[in-house]
Amino acid sequence: MPDRTIQLKIKRQDDQSASPYWQTFSIPYRPNMNVISCLQYIAAHPTTADGTETTPVVWDCSCLEEVCGACTMVINGEVRQSCSALVDRLLEEDDSIKLEPMTKFPVVRDLFVDRSRLFEDLKKTQGWVPIDGLYSLGPGPWESPAKQDTRYDLSRCMSCGCCLEVCPQYTRNNNFVGAAVISQVRYFNTHPIGANNAAERLNAMMEPGGISDCGNAQNCVKVCPKDIPLTESIADVGRMTTIHSIKQFFRGE
Amino acid sequence: MTQSSSSPSSAARFHFLLRRLHSLSGLVPVGVFLCFHLFTNFQMLTGDFQHEVDFIHAMPALFYVELALWLSIGFHAALGCYYTFSGVKPNAAAYNYESNYRYVLQRVTGIIALVFIFIHVAHFRWRIEMFGVLMPFYAKGPGGEDLATATTAMSLQHIGATIFYLVGALSAVFHFANGLWTMAITWGVTITVGAQRRWGKMCLGLGVVLALFTIGALIGAWRYEITDTERAAFEALQQGAETMKGH
Ligand code: SF4
Ligand code: SF4
Ligand code: FES
Repeated sequence: MPDRTIQLKIKRQDDQSASPYWQTFSIPYRPNMNVISCLQYIAAHPTTADGTETTPVVWDCSCLEEVCGACTMVINGEVRQSCSALVDRLLEEDDSIKLEPMTKFPVVRDLFVDRSRLFEDLKKTQGWVPIDGLYSLGPGPWESPAKQDTRYDLSRCMSCGCCLEVCPQYTRNNNFVGAAVISQVRYFNTHPIGANNAAERLNAMMEPGGISDCGNAQNCVKVCPKDIPLTESIADVGRMTTIHSIKQFFRGE
Repeated sequence: MTQSSSSPSSAARFHFLLRRLHSLSGLVPVGVFLCFHLFTNFQMLTGDFQHEVDFIHAMPALFYVELALWLSIGFHAALGCYYTFSGVKPNAAAYNYESNYRYVLQRVTGIIALVFIFIHVAHFRWRIEMFGVLMPFYAKGPGGEDLATATTAMSLQHIGATIFYLVGALSAVFHFANGLWTMAITWGVTITVGAQRRWGKMCLGLGVVLALFTIGALIGAWRYEITDTERAAFEALQQGAETMKGH
């Protein structure tokens, strides 16, 4: 069917403080399209369905294979990566496609949001293993395959922000770090070398906005595209902070 | 690495401590009290209610026990309301997962339970008339007659009062049982999905038992036949209360 078209309803916003508005685009259907290829078509033909010329729709992407998280947006009411959102699949459920930017981050323009809060929070909790030194530190300790397995799951986080978008406790006007960061604390605290900085990460987790601001709605784990066991991470970091604070009470300063 | 970085900042200590005390206070003493209270109420059905009431009234330092309970409930409620109303964004309409509904229900039932507990104590314990209704509770009549079961039955033998008690008490039960489930995650007791599921079943079981106690108490209240002597003793107390107010 060469003349079949797809309707795309896009929520647009010219800059961070501008008010959003909706535009509908009608683009020719091709088999095996994804949402990014629709957006590419609109970038090349920035005309709305009723024939008005407009500015090209702005979005963010990089890897195009669901590993960088940059292209995350709300598609037909569901937060997910647009590069892995297949048009044929979407049309099975709905006859048009609705695109909106994520609501928990400031909009840079159109579908492109600024997720720096997530990266700042990773910095606060030392989301890394420090190995820089003046001399070679030699090989790291041996890790059991079972532990490697658990940590491998956690390592797949791409900071896409889906878990933050659906979290009722994560809002624009509070400072909760959300499930992704809590899970990274678990990831680095269970790393044999990362564990050297475990206390600092747990201190950061006890700050306002840390682990105790989670309300256990468990939405995060349902939407994580990487199937990271976020609720187990939250409980594990809960246990770590329980033990850490008791130790701190009895023998800390 | 500096020494100070290994201890939490004072803001962190305070925030974390408050959150964890909020969690703990829901179990001890408030949740434990709820269990005992609902068990006592259940004796409305078995006929041992007066005995239980006399036992409680004979407790030493009852005033301080009550005071400690009020302080705990006040602390738990004030922090709970603050956490609920300071910038969270429930989204169960958009993300209709079962756990997300429970998240919303936990907050709604907490508020219902708070209002309910206040009205309940105001009526029963402080004998204050509210919204044109007065449901006073007396353990004993002027001549030492047993009145615990009779006055409770008098209050609850109205369909409105029964619905009010059912909604209020079941809200408290849900809030406690679900709170017990999330508490195990918060403190890091149940970590794996399997452990959380198993503990969830146990919390559900506890919730069902407490709900049955509540329903049992209400059935007991409706089945109780108030005698004329009990009514007369109650009237006498009310007259006494009237003259006391007149002074
Ligand atoms: S935890 Fe999952 S949903 Fe959250 S940022 Fe990482 S990959 Fe995305
Ligand atoms: S469990 Fe709920 S409140 Fe906690 S981080 Fe996940 S979505 Fe947010
Ligand atoms: S472009 Fe990297 S996840 Fe979609």
